[in-house]
Amino acid sequence: MFNSKKNLVYTMALLALSFTACESDDPVIENDGEVITDVILNFQELDATGNLVGAVTTFSASDPQGIEVGATPTIDDVTLTKGKTYQLNIEVRNSIENEDITEEILEEADEHQFFFLGTAFVGSPVLTYQYDDLSGELIGVQGIVTVAASPGFNTANMRIVLRHDLDKNFPGATNPSFENFVQAGGESDLDITFPLILN
Amino acid sequence: MAQNCNLGIRGKVIHLENNEPIESAYIWINEVERGEITDQDGNFVIRNLCPGNYTIKIQFLGHKEILDTISLNSNSFNKTYRMEEESLDLVGVEIHGHRDAVQTTTALTALYGDELLAARGENLGESLKRIAGVTTFSTGNTISKPVIHGMHSNRIMILNNGIRLEGQQWGAEHAPEIDPFLADEITVVKGAETVRYGPEAMGGVILVNPAPLATKKSRKTELNLLGGTNSKMGNISITHSGGSGKINGLGYRVQASAKRAGNVKSPDYYQDNTGMSELNFSGALGYSSTKLGVETYYSFFNTSIGILRDAHTGNLSDLEEIIQNGRPFTNADFTYEINNPKQVVSHHLAKLKSHYHLSENWKLNAQYGFQLNLREEYDRRRGDLNDKPSLDLKLYTNTFDLFVDHTHRNEFSGTWGVNLIQQANSNVPGTGVTPLIPNYDMVNVGFYLMEKYSKGPLEVEAGLRYDLRNVQTARFIQNELQEADLNYQNFSAFIGGLFQINPRLSFSSNLGSAWRPPNVNELFSQGLHHGAAAVEIGDSELNSEKSFKWVNEFEYDHNNLHLEVTGYANQINNYIYLNPTGETVVSLRGTFNVYEYLQANAFFYGFDFAGSYEFTEKISAYAKGSIIRAKNTDENNYFPFIPSDRMDWGFAYDFDSGNGKMNKVTLSNILVAQQTREPDFDIAPAPPAYALFNLAYQKQVQVHSNKLNLGIQVQNVFNTSYKEYMNRFRYFTDDMGRNILLKINYQF
Repeated sequence: MFNSKKNLVYTMALLALSFTACESDDPVIENDGEVITDVILNFQELDATGNLVGAVTTFSASDPQGIEVGATPTIDDVTLTKGKTYQLNIEVRNSIENEDITEEILEEADEHQFFFLGTAFVGSPVLTYQYDDLSGELIGVQGIVTVAASPGFNTANMRIVLRHDLDKNFPGATNPSFENFVQAGGESDLDITFPLILN
Repeated sequence: MAQNCNLGIRGKVIHLENNEPIESAYIWINEVERGEITDQDGNFVIRNLCPGNYTIKIQFLGHKEILDTISLNSNSFNKTYRMEEESLDLVGVEIHGHRDAVQTTTALTALYGDELLAARGENLGESLKRIAGVTTFSTGNTISKPVIHGMHSNRIMILNNGIRLEGQQWGAEHAPEIDPFLADEITVVKGAETVRYGPEAMGGVILVNPAPLATKKSRKTELNLLGGTNSKMGNISITHSGGSGKINGLGYRVQASAKRAGNVKSPDYYQDNTGMSELNFSGALGYSSTKLGVETYYSFFNTSIGILRDAHTGNLSDLEEIIQNGRPFTNADFTYEINNPKQVVSHHLAKLKSHYHLSENWKLNAQYGFQLNLREEYDRRRGDLNDKPSLDLKLYTNTFDLFVDHTHRNEFSGTWGVNLIQQANSNVPGTGVTPLIPNYDMVNVGFYLMEKYSKGPLEVEAGLRYDLRNVQTARFIQNELQEADLNYQNFSAFIGGLFQINPRLSFSSNLGSAWRPPNVNELFSQGLHHGAAAVEIGDSELNSEKSFKWVNEFEYDHNNLHLEVTGYANQINNYIYLNPTGETVVSLRGTFNVYEYLQANAFFYGFDFAGSYEFTEKISAYAKGSIIRAKNTDENNYFPFIPSDRMDWGFAYDFDSGNGKMNKVTLSNILVAQQTREPDFDIAPAPPAYALFNLAYQKQVQVHSNKLNLGIQVQNVFNTSYKEYMNRFRYFTDDMGRNILLKINYQF
């Protein structure tokens, strides 16, 4: 009787000792690898024979902090000339990680696709887009933009959407200005509206 | 004049040491030479007695005989008898019902036996829907959290074999990490039980308890095989338990279960990426003698759950498009494959428990629990990041309880104790995402005492508790270390009573205060919630929630009628909720709604009912339902995700009644109203009301000395398309369509 009581005390002491506290780890800085901070549109004029002429004109949208309350992205006005045809190269970057996301998009070409919408591309469009990616797949990293010679209006909205994980074989998805792109599934990785000014 | 000889002696027989009812105790009245056996609740009635003096003899194997001489002169005689165990040296007698179920005057309902058998194969939340007043808060058809009287997550508590389950339960899409197959009985306590169980047990408590370990030589195996047509679900579970023949009082149990399911089918389409797999294991070893009891227990839970692909939206316009579409855009086929987005969760729980009888009336208990919860959540991401979790959390929890129980025959019993919880949460580095919640260390110390007084038909109890909590957090946000050191403290108390008005009717009432310190996610959330296209912002200045819950229950049992009605009111001060600010965040990814954590006073009230009636020996009917009202009394508006009014009713036909073997078909109908009390802002309106029909057949077959239970269930017989307000994926998809299940249970 006495012994078992003593044993119990020992058991309790052992329990108390085994109750050694675990501590949380020190926090580490986590670099947001997925955030897109910069989208750069590189326009270069194409002549009638399809050769690149002149200098590259660059317009960008940037949001150095990623998604953050109170911070809105800075978006340039895109200025293009009526009647001209341009090659458009889109560069996507993560400036926090100093990473070129364009490469990742090209690597996962089967899961990514840019769509070109807004009043600039749909309705009575002032711009038309044509996929011209080097691999031949429809991605939209490189393409051809044609500005109407006599557009109905001189300003418009140029909405550029990057879809991820969509069904590229969905009927209509071959159209770069497919308004019902959501029906092809997936989600938007980018959805930016650039103001467009035509000279 | 003839004597009035229709008086009755009524009583209840319970274990002295733990107040558990004793079934099949033998009652003998010497004077009239009549006997009776107690029912499963320990109750007995001996009727048609004339006034006079009687000697009641109560016998139960392994317990000391009770002899009580009484004087009977009215029909209100009712007494509780507590039986004390006899020492082991009595040859061949070894009964140690050391089962510590809850002893509370609060309304409680348990799921066990045939009802639990019918619920096999369902997760904990789904199983508990069978209890009136319990609903689920779910994320698709594979993740569901139990809701008691409108409260869930950190406002209720789940105990896995006596240890409070500590996972990341703050998350709406974080289901409890527990395998219902380990339970022999699941009990829901509907009252505020902070005093007994510690902070957060505000809306109620769920106790998932395995069967008590054997204390004498025995062997028992139970095999469950289940299959379902919807999602082609397969589920197997095996439990083996026994007692040692060599060492008296030594018992063990091992249990394992595995589950696999593929894409869920809504009536018109498959839900893409909604498969799941689960692998669980538990084991226990115990020793019990008259004085000492020791139990060790370990359980492991491991699951991978696919999250509906379309629920992972890119931005607000994606979300609005899919809501408008009313169904997923993806046209999926059936597959068992689980892709991103998905959750991979494992949970380890180890427990060591001991009790020692200091004397006939005093018992000392110590319990230590260790838990490790690992949660990885994967999103659809670009490149190599797709193989890395976006959320990777590691949570250690130590719990230590030391308490004494005392039981004095027919009078006072009580518990005094101290409870320690220590927790360490870490974000596992390498996710490439700023953590949603910080790393933190938490310590909570609580001191409590509870006393109960029982006399005849009346039981009264009261308790008091004091808690102290410290939380230290640290996290880097944009290369900046953010730290916090927070302290919370609180007194809580309860008072309750149970009165057996007459043998048919009992009434219980319990008024309890409860509290809940704000959770780390409410304090520090900062980030994007893909399913809701929302940025959620925490507030480190939040205060503790404090509540008063008053629960009343009437229970009526007579002949063919059984009825339970529970009514409650719960006033919560500083209720923490996620409020849409009306603002949006614009980013290169698109637009997002902004939600912030706010506090307001809340008032919840409602009632549950459950009843059954036997028309004949073969035909019976049942009905159960619940009504909840929850209001933000500061703003005079409604909170989101409060269950709408619902009821479940049906008829059963018993093919061979009377022989104790189940052979029954049940047709039931579930009616769920539209939630018309909606919050001012929701991204989609509440879905319309719906009605579902279910059909079930259950049969028990005796195979020599073994038992075989066969069950066939058809859920959603008419393959009705519907959306449930309490399912977060109602924004994206219809609920599950028809499901035909085959359930085989073999006990040998």
